[in-house]
Amino acid sequence: MTMIHHKILGLVTILYLAIFFLHILYFAVKKEGLVRLIWVFLYITLALHTGGIIARWIDSYRIGIGHAPLSNFYESLIFFSWSISFMLVLMKKRLSYPLITMFANLISLILIGYASISSGVEKNIQPLIPALQSNWLHIHVITCFISYAAFVVSFICGLLYFFNLTGARSPSRSTLEEINYRSVMVGFPMLTAGILTGSVWAHYAWGSYWSWDPKETWSLITWIIYALFLHARFVRGWKGKRIAIISIIGFFSVIFTYFGVNFILSGLHSYAT
Amino acid sequence: MSVIKNNRGEPLPAPEKKLKDRLIGFFGSVKLAVSVLTFIAVTSVLGTIIKQNASPEEYLSFYSPTILKIISFFMLDDVYHAPWFIAALILFVINLMVCTYIRFFRYPLREKKVRLPEEKALMSFNMCFKVSKDREKNALALIKKRFRRVIYEGEDGVVLEKAPYGRYGVLLIHLSIFIILIGSLIGLLWGYKGFIVLHKGEQKDMMVIRGRSPKEIPLGFAIRCKDFNVSLYPNGTPKDYVSRLEVIEKDRVLFERDVRVNSPLNHRGIHIYQSSYGASPTFVFNVDGESVSLREQDAHEDGGFIMIAMRFERAIHDFGPGVQVAFLDDGEPRTAWFLRDIPRMRQKELAGKRVILEDIKEDLWTGLEASYDPGIIFVWIGFGLMMVGLYINFFVCPGKIFIRRLPEGIIIAGVGSKHIDRFQEIFEEIKGKLYDNDTP
Ligand code: HEM
Repeated sequence: MTMIHHKILGLVTILYLAIFFLHILYFAVKKEGLVRLIWVFLYITLALHTGGIIARWIDSYRIGIGHAPLSNFYESLIFFSWSISFMLVLMKKRLSYPLITMFANLISLILIGYASISSGVEKNIQPLIPALQSNWLHIHVITCFISYAAFVVSFICGLLYFFNLTGARSPSRSTLEEINYRSVMVGFPMLTAGILTGSVWAHYAWGSYWSWDPKETWSLITWIIYALFLHARFVRGWKGKRIAIISIIGFFSVIFTYFGVNFILSGLHSYAT
Repeated sequence: MSVIKNNRGEPLPAPEKKLKDRLIGFFGSVKLAVSVLTFIAVTSVLGTIIKQNASPEEYLSFYSPTILKIISFFMLDDVYHAPWFIAALILFVINLMVCTYIRFFRYPLREKKVRLPEEKALMSFNMCFKVSKDREKNALALIKKRFRRVIYEGEDGVVLEKAPYGRYGVLLIHLSIFIILIGSLIGLLWGYKGFIVLHKGEQKDMMVIRGRSPKEIPLGFAIRCKDFNVSLYPNGTPKDYVSRLEVIEKDRVLFERDVRVNSPLNHRGIHIYQSSYGASPTFVFNVDGESVSLREQDAHEDGGFIMIAMRFERAIHDFGPGVQVAFLDDGEPRTAWFLRDIPRMRQKELAGKRVILEDIKEDLWTGLEASYDPGIIFVWIGFGLMMVGLYINFFVCPGKIFIRRLPEGIIIAGVGSKHIDRFQEIFEEIKGKLYDNDTP
């Protein structure tokens, strides 16, 4: 059964690919007009991406198991890539550097591409098991993925800083540092909100707000890493490479929290695969 | 560090720091915080890689005996309850407390007295500008919209402040961690968890605590399962399961409520959750004309005759549900199968008695978790405070504006006390507006 949302999201995947090629083209010919075109494409893609998610939501009601599309692995991949684009548009004033948008867009492309191509990802709308029928699910997922998207930006800045990838029309090292800590300033409270809402939800669904399940533990580890980032940066005054390294480590921890736990370790959250 | 020398040029012994100060310095240092947090993070990783609380056999299928010895010596099979992990948490709490104490309580957050600096000093602020005298009222009105607190007012000018609580965000964040940990400690010490299995119509006032030797403890009230329902999606996965429970005290029904997944019942601090369900069969036999209902493992005795419903199978090949019955035949233990849907297999002679399986009824039972956690309220308060603290710390932008009257006009200068760059944006915005108004 192909539904409208599958078509829209397929188109969105192609658009992400197109944006990626636009970036490559930009780096080849260095025409400023292309940057504006990239942003036009980004806006259109984000709008369609949003439309695709809403269409999937509506489709779920049409087949009688209506719920917000935030519940299985496929839906989370789609939402993760959406959050990254959303973050780009939200922070456009600061993030408008082709080098940053290219990497962010590439990560969106990988996520949504993996969601639509991999045969291991269940793409159809599945009914919600009782444990997932909670409003806490929505805020939990939204806050977590907004934080992940912010950490993607922080990671990109850390990466560019660490490998000193600064060239024409790309951010200076101090700009990279500033964007990096600003995105952690968005990501950290959001991750905290994600962990806390998850914990409240676990209390209502399972009767304990913390059970050291691998996913919970890994989110705590990620949280501690970014807390270390903040203290290193603001209390001990760390700068430069060391901060860049923490943001890279932090992002690997995010990735492990999101994928690794599902694939390698098992636990309460394993339904999300 | 410079060395203090006496008048003969010899270094003096460094003034002996008091032990108390040294301890406070050590336990309150951010360096210690970084080390302890790193330690907790790294050991938590171990806890997710090594399977927790598994049996020795399971470990031996993964690890060699030597590694298993290391694992059990360091309690890596139960990291989060190992003494050294708890010790790290306690060190973390001490660190947090001492650090909060020295940062926030030894040095007060707010300066006692604010003074309005002289013109020259204000001019050296990197956020400052002048406007003409006739704009003074206008400027004040505009600035007061965002800088509401007046902390100094005099002939020579005013000092206004915005979001003075901005610096308390950090305090709230750290205190909230402390409160959450206290709450979870209370839960660990005085809380307990158990389960209750209720058949439809059944009533219980005890819950079972899991463990090596499970024990029953009183709930303090009784619950009765009035009804239990499972609904399924068309594809057969469970959609909802609901227990209708009556809460009973002193033989009086206080209230009844539906308990479903994600919607527990709370009475006298005990939360009761929908956790699982199942069906257990009841076998209705006819033994020599007498009707006998047995559950699995129940025995029926009548004179010398004894029969036990041993084992239930929902489907025996294609023949439908059946039950295996054990009985004594001249002192010899024997077994026989009864199948409900095959007439030939429904009746048998057991030790001279005519036994007929009339029906197998499956009644649903509901599996409820019960937990008592007196610390949870602290945990929730801590969560709330943490979110408020994070909001204040990262999104509120405190600062001051100094306005001094000069003969030719007024000078306006600003200082942000956190998020300086954002404060500067706010300042520039104000400056932009006043300049526009100023030059017609
Ligand atoms: C996981 C636990 C912790 C978390 C989540 C946390 C969080 C934070 C946050 C968000 C800030 C604000 C950073 C900024 O924007 O300037 C901060 C500042 C700070 N933290 Fe922590 N913290 C933790 C543990 C600790 C511990 C154990 C100490 C004790 C040594 C500590 C000492 C400080 C200090 C001294 C500051 C700077 C306060 C200031 O700006 O005056 N933190 N912390």
